[in-house]
Order: sequence, then structure tokens, then C-alpha cells
Amino acid sequence: MAALPRRIIKETQRLMAEPVPGISAVPDESNARYFHVIVTGPEDSPFEGGLFKLELFLPEDYPMSAPKVRFITKIYHPNIDKLGRICLDILKDKWSPALQIRTVLLSIQALLSAPNPDDPLANDVAELWKINEIEAIRNAKEWTRKYAMDN
Amino acid sequence: MMAECTINDNIDESDSDYSDEDFETYYHPMEYGDSEENHNPVDAEDPELFPVECLTMEQVEMFLNEAVNSVCHILNINMSLAKLFLLFNNWDVEKIISGYKLDITSFLISSRVLPTLQSQQQSANIDDNDCQCEQQQPGSGNIINDNVFICPVCTCSSLKSLGLCLECQHTFCTECWTTYVEVKISEGQSTEITCMAQNCNLLLQEVIALKLPISSYLKLQYQHFAFHNYVISHPLLRFCVGPNCNVIFKAKQSLAKRIVCPQCKSVFCFKCGDSYHAPTDCATIKNWLTKCADDSETANYFSAHTKDCPNCNICIEKNGGCNHMQCYKCRHDFCWMCLGDWKGHGSEYYECSRYKENSETANESAKARAALRKYLHYYERWQNHAKSLKLEEKTLEKIKDRINQKVMNGSGTWIDWQYLLDAAALLAKCRYTLQYTYPYAYYMNNESKNLFEYQQAQLEAEIENLSWKVERAETTDRGDLENQMYIAEKRRKTLLKDFFQT
Ligand SMILES: [Zn+2]
Ligand SMILES: [Zn+2]
Ligand SMILES: [Zn+2]
Ligand SMILES: [Zn+2]
Ligand SMILES: [Zn+2]
Ligand SMILES: [Zn+2]
Repeated sequence: MAALPRRIIKETQRLMAEPVPGISAVPDESNARYFHVIVTGPEDSPFEGGLFKLELFLPEDYPMSAPKVRFITKIYHPNIDKLGRICLDILKDKWSPALQIRTVLLSIQALLSAPNPDDPLANDVAELWKINEIEAIRNAKEWTRKYAMDN
Repeated sequence: MMAECTINDNIDESDSDYSDEDFETYYHPMEYGDSEENHNPVDAEDPELFPVECLTMEQVEMFLNEAVNSVCHILNINMSLAKLFLLFNNWDVEKIISGYKLDITSFLISSRVLPTLQSQQQSANIDDNDCQCEQQQPGSGNIINDNVFICPVCTCSSLKSLGLCLECQHTFCTECWTTYVEVKISEGQSTEITCMAQNCNLLLQEVIALKLPISSYLKLQYQHFAFHNYVISHPLLRFCVGPNCNVIFKAKQSLAKRIVCPQCKSVFCFKCGDSYHAPTDCATIKNWLTKCADDSETANYFSAHTKDCPNCNICIEKNGGCNHMQCYKCRHDFCWMCLGDWKGHGSEYYECSRYKENSETANESAKARAALRKYLHYYERWQNHAKSLKLEEKTLEKIKDRINQKVMNGSGTWIDWQYLLDAAALLAKCRYTLQYTYPYAYYMNNESKNLFEYQQAQLEAEIENLSWKVERAETTDRGDLENQMYIAEKRRKTLLKDFFQT
């Protein structure tokens, strides 16, 4: 395997030394471009108390291309679909090579605090979120309890 | 010099193995042979006449360079910047010059050459906050001492002299810029490549991009993509829409006129590049097609192929393009569209194409029903003429077969029967226009709607007469058929002259 770019090494070191509060990102033992991520459900959100597993992969031309990130834990969220894919602009056309794993993870955490049903990925969830927010939040809490606690 | 391939209405697009020459001599027997350049006499009054040139890539480059050079000279700027201005201002040299002279700074900001005042302040603030960590402020070059900086992308320190930044001062090392530009070009980008910093939308100018040590293959790719962007941003240029066709058309004005590619025979609208849509304008036809796609299920109900004879109720299948039906059992002549007696259709006033507003639409659901009924009225006719066009294509094939047989059997020569093909081609052209009068009428909402629908009805009546005669060409007198062709085309041109706004 090609040598790991200095940029990835630096980022990894810093993620380990000064982790982002509420987020753990650990590189895989056999592949330094693959990270096991756990995001804690933010306080005062329907995801509070849950631990959400994600996978993050740095493609060959990272940081010129965005990291690939996906939720592994099932989550009821208008911007995250059944397969765990995330609708987040900085992972697509708003990616900049100056962004980092850290900023990506912070953005995902922020997305949990502030779902955006106007830019949906999971259409049925977004639909309910718009017409009946109370019920949508109830569903999100239930899914959090069911899939993101005591596992 | 540029290759002239002036295209006008007279070039026939429906089939290439015969020409419209005879058709033209019929129309303009006196003028024929007058013009040296073009053996088709040009009708200056023709509402569809649209002279265009076909240019090669080199000729287009020369044409674009004229504009680039004049902007360079007048504003005393480099070519790369001039190209950027032109690209973002629809190649309007005067607009650029006046905008630039009025306020250089705001012109440069709106052209994405200078950062907005807001982001200038922001980056100043970042530089003030002495950063504790080398990656704290991605996007702003972090300065260790006066000569060295740390590139926020690769985190390597290098000499400031090796860093590169745009007017925003977001500095990155040349290596990172190079990799970044390589990735962007391989994604198909060129003139739209921006600064690497987050939320910075300053454009990387061509001159900077091409100075980077990228491979010569990628440099060529960049130029290729950039050329494409220049052409599509230019209102007087249009790529041929034909697949794998390299022709580029140049017109004197950006108008919604018909283009027929002399190379691949594609037919399209110069202004929007979609299927030709006279008398409807570009925006209206887009709305109409979107509406049709959205409402297709409701409308499908109406696209049935059979109807019952209004006289004897026997089931009749429509197998030709003509809407003048004759029941095979009782010989009753009726109209496919409205099932009315055909007798009322042949005369000067053809009721069938006119939609009647019903004034008794008080409540909301009645309004919705009325809206749907109105839409379906136009949609049904739009669809029906599309279908007729297809069926008449088959009629044309049959005519060709029959002509073949006749000539082989010694009954006349090819040229004797040419008029039949001309009639079929003219029928297709007229019906095509007629089809596109329906979206126009649907969105029309003023006093001239009555006049429009009157002319539309007249055109429709003459087209159905023509279709009837073409289908029965064997038994129709040639003079009669040719007279019908003349009338139908005259009606078509009159309608376009009065209503086609390009
Ligand atoms: Zn760098
Ligand atoms: Zn910048
Ligand atoms: Zn072509
Ligand atoms: Zn158009
Ligand atoms: Zn009958
Ligand atoms: Zn009728």
C-alpha cells in the first residue's frame, strides 16, 4: 500500500490527542484510511442518549475528494436514508480540500441537533417531519431507544 | 472565411433522398434561378427564415478571440481575465466595458475575481487571531515565520514563495493546487474551478490553472472543457444537438428559429436547443412539456385509438393521420376530434379546434374540473396531431412503395411522381406547426386569442383536406392536390407571421 500522506497522519494524531467532544473516531487496525466512528446523540435532540455507529473512509484522492461517511446504526432522520447515507452539502458539492475529518464529524453532529426536512434524503421521514413534527420526533426517539441504546 | 451554409425554410429535413426543388419551382416559378449562391429563392417575408453559419472549432475560436481582444485592449487587461468577464456576461462586450468603468472593484467582486468585502474582513480577523494549532483555521495559510507557511491541505511547511493564492489570500502549496486542479479537470471542470478554501468562490483563472505543472493531456482537456463553456455561454453560438455532430452554428441574433443541421439533419430551436416549437416560445414550450409529463396519467385516458361512429355506432379504428373519418359501414363523414359531422368542418369556420370557456364555474371543485377539461382539450389535440404525424410517416412509406412500383411498371418517371413526396413532406411540416399551436393557445390569455384560434382552425381545416388528398393521391387530381398544398402552406405562414414571436 502507498505511504499514508502526512495530512492523514496529522489529522489522525490530532483526532486521538484532542477528540471532538461527543465523537470518537478510531482508525481501523488494518487500514488507516478507514475509521470506526461513534457519535453521541446531542442533548435536547430526539437522539439524546443514543450512541450512533458510523463508518468513514478516506478515498485515494482525499483531501481533494470528500471522505465517504455512512451511518451503520439505524436512525430516524430526514437527511439520512435507510442505507445510512447522509445528505450534507460539504460531503458533496461544497467539499473543500481545506475541510477535515473533524469538521465533517462536527457537521454530522450538528445535523442531528438540527434536522433539515426541506433538503431531505429520506422522503417519507421528511414529509412527516414537516406535517407532524411531534409524531416525527416521537418516532426518532423510539428508533433511538430501539437501535442506538444498550448495544 | 467562414463556411456559408445558410439555412432557410426551404431545406427539407424530413427525408434526405429527395429535395424540395420541385416544390420550390412550384411556389416561385418566376424567381427560380435568380440567385447565384442559393438555388432556393429566398422569401424575405418568410417568418421562419433564419440565416446561420456553420463554423468549425477554429473559426469559433477566431470569432471568440475578436471579443476577447477587444476587451483586452479597451480595458488593458490580460486575456484570461477578459475571457472570465465574457463568460459571466454573455459575451456582452459593451456591458463589460461600462460595468468595469463604472466601478472596477464591485465589477471584480461580482466577477468572482476579488473576494466580497465581507469575506475580506473575515479573513483579516482570522489572521489577527494568532492560531494555536496549525489546522485550526483551514483555508488560511498559517504563517510560522516570514518565509515559511504551512499548507492547510497537506499540512507540510514550505517556503512562502512556493505558495499560491488568489486575491482572497487563501494560500496553498503548488503541489496541492496541482493535484486539486487535476482532480477537477478529470471531473470535467475548467473555468468553474474555484479556490480550495471552504466557502471561497473565487475563480481560478485559466492563466493560473494552465501554468500549474499538470500533464499536457489534462491541459488539453481543460481547454476542451473551457471551449465548451465559452460556446454554451455565447448567445449567438449553438452546438448542434445531434449526437456526435461537431457543427457549431452562429447566428446574428439569438432567436427561437428553426435550425436544420446540414450534416446530421437534426432539427431544433436555435435559442433553446430543444425541438423546434413555433409558434410557441421557448419558455412556454418548456412549461407545457413539464405540465404534460406531470399530468400524463390523467391525459392517457384520452389517447385511445378507437371511437364509435356517431351515426351507426360501429367501432372505428384510426389508421391514417387524417381527422376526416369516413365510416366504412354507413359512409358517414365525421370528425375524429369532436365526432361532429364533417360537413360543418370543410367550410371557412372550423369549430373543432376552438375550446369554449364555460362561464358557469362557481365553486372550487368545478373550477378544478374546468381547468382539467381546458387542459385536456388542448392536450388531446396536441397528442392527436403528434400521432397523426407518425401515421403520416407510414403513409409516406406507402407512397414511396407505390411510386417505385409505378416507375418499375413503366408508368411515369421518378420526376413525374415527385409531387406526391413533396405533398407528403409539406403535410408533415404543416402538421408539425399545427401541433405546436396548441400549447400556444393553451397559455394565451388576451384579445388576440380569438384571432389566433380562427387562424388555427383554418390551418387545421386545410391540413385535414391535404391529408385526405394525400392519402387518396391516386384518385386525386394533381392540380387539385397542388392547389391544396399551396393553401395549407399559405395558412401556416400567415399564422407564423402574425403570432410567432422569436
Ligand atoms: Zn499543500
Ligand atoms: Zn480563497
Ligand atoms: Zn448536426
Ligand atoms: Zn426554443
Ligand atoms: Zn357509421
Ligand atoms: Zn371536429
